[in-house]
Amino acid sequence: MAGNFWQSSHYQQWMLDKQDLQRERQQDLKVLTEDEYQKVMIFFANFIQGLGEQLKVRQQVIATATVYFKRFYARNSLKCIDPWLMAPTCIFLASKVEEFGVISNTRLISTCQNVVKNKFGYAFPQEYPYRIQNVLECEFFLLEMMDCCLILFHPYRPLTKYCADLSSENELLPLAWRIINDSLRTDVPLLYPPYLIALACLHMACVIKQKDIKQWCAELSVDTDIILDIARTLIGLYDVWKNYDEKKEIAGILAKMPKPKLSPSRPPSEGPNGQDGSNNSQNQGQSMQQSGMQSSGP
Amino acid sequence: MAEDSNRRYEKIEFLGEGQFATVYKARDTKTDAVVAVKKIKVGTRVEAADGINRTALREIKLLQELSHVNVIGLLDIFGQKSNVSLVFDFMETDLEIIIKDNKIILTAPHIKSYMLQTLQGLEYLHAHWILHRDMKPNNLLINDQGILKIGDFGLAKYYGSPSRPYSNQVVTRWYRCPELLFGAKQYSTGVDIWATGCIMAELLIRLPFLPGETDLDQLGRIFQVLGTPTEDDWPHVKALPDYIQFRSYPKQPLKEIFTAAGDDLLEVLDQMMALNPLKRCTATESLKMPYFSNKPHPAAGHQLPRPGSNKIVNKEQEARRAGLKRKQNSEQDRGLAKRLMF
Repeated sequence: MAGNFWQSSHYQQWMLDKQDLQRERQQDLKVLTEDEYQKVMIFFANFIQGLGEQLKVRQQVIATATVYFKRFYARNSLKCIDPWLMAPTCIFLASKVEEFGVISNTRLISTCQNVVKNKFGYAFPQEYPYRIQNVLECEFFLLEMMDCCLILFHPYRPLTKYCADLSSENELLPLAWRIINDSLRTDVPLLYPPYLIALACLHMACVIKQKDIKQWCAELSVDTDIILDIARTLIGLYDVWKNYDEKKEIAGILAKMPKPKLSPSRPPSEGPNGQDGSNNSQNQGQSMQQSGMQSSGP
Repeated sequence: MAEDSNRRYEKIEFLGEGQFATVYKARDTKTDAVVAVKKIKVGTRVEAADGINRTALREIKLLQELSHVNVIGLLDIFGQKSNVSLVFDFMETDLEIIIKDNKIILTAPHIKSYMLQTLQGLEYLHAHWILHRDMKPNNLLINDQGILKIGDFGLAKYYGSPSRPYSNQVVTRWYRCPELLFGAKQYSTGVDIWATGCIMAELLIRLPFLPGETDLDQLGRIFQVLGTPTEDDWPHVKALPDYIQFRSYPKQPLKEIFTAAGDDLLEVLDQMMALNPLKRCTATESLKMPYFSNKPHPAAGHQLPRPGSNKIVNKEQEARRAGLKRKQNSEQDRGLAKRLMF
């Protein structure tokens, strides 16, 4: 439950436009194609979803975390902070903001390790490298980069109201709800007010179910062009999914993805494996892990 | 950007240190306004285990969305390295200091003004689905223009959405309503209204109205004054988790406790302190009661008292410094720091 959307930071400060997004992405789009960039974003939305499900948080937390993630990279290059670190950080912060409670440190990191190993091994064959210290540091950057705007409005609530009004809680609601989940894999949450996203998802559910709600829509006073624009973006997502095997392609795309430079303030890695970036960070993770384990001993 | 903001605020003096923040009085070089800068600590390893303190986070997320003359204004937020600083309106004093300052005489127009401002702020919060959950005199901050602003959103929370049960360990005990004391996990705006009723009573008698020493004692004190609730006037009260049967006390006429107060004021107080939360008035209802439109009119901002003579202010500052030096005296330290939070 939240206050007034029209007076919210979500509406007043975080409704972006397509040109803004395009401009901010220029740096990353020198390295990745637009298609690849979209696939990276889809992948990490999936990763956030995977973490959230494993941590048994509500969909509200997952949705908030996913939008936080998008907000951060809407203003920053992928090389600014490693998305593998940003994803759990978003879940960590969103869980607190949505009053779901603090996810314990050890549980967050062990969940990352398990989810990476069991579900996303095709994208990240090494062990999950980050420790809670990294997450806590990252949380500050995330908060600052969002200008401390933390309250989000999601399309789920308006959707439930529309479906109740249509007396279609059984037929349309579950399908439209899933389309909203899918919309989190696009730029739509950054570009449009949630009630319009809800209407677009409802519209698509009607098309799929071949249900005519023209009468009901006639009473809406909304810009149908925007609804159609949102629907087109979502259809674009389904087109991408149709011919795309994430398991096969994503590792190659992630390898191309711009990476953060290693922070010089951290202890240098040891051992013979520290030749390239990813191995390097893995070793750092392990050395931190060891020190962490020592200090938390009985 | 961060560096710019860092330079934008010129530190004037150290104000206090709280559990999760240090507060400075500062000058905004851009607008020349005096502000309070609250720097949130990262804390030690143990404290930092949860990341950004949840209390601070509540304050950030809610105040970022709010804007009302009677709610503390979050003016700016800036970060540097791994610190976040919040910039607030600078507030000269708070209602607790005013109530305790025995050099100040609180007249009927003063009290009406404080109540009006408090309830207008509260009405705004409730209309935005926010429960404050820590209404008490030292969270009602007052600036040099006599404008009262509700501060400290560390316990505040959205309400109205079906979610997990709420904690009943909210609100400072003396201002805690009977349903919370009986362990209710679902509650609403009534918790803030009850507390505001206690504040109104405190403005009249210049002492905490119901200073319970334990939660049980708190309930006892409430019932001795307002009568022990029965199933008739509060249906299902016995179903509350921590319900205890108290001796049956009759309700005392408020007129006998607050002998100097007018009937229209006592009507407001009586409605705000209804034992049954469903019978308690809302902020909006209370503002519509005759008390607020009857004479005398509420005092204008500049007519409101300001704390003490200079001498007393200096004493305050001395106490403040002394209190801050004695870090081990955490109770006092915290109390002071809290008061100086904004």
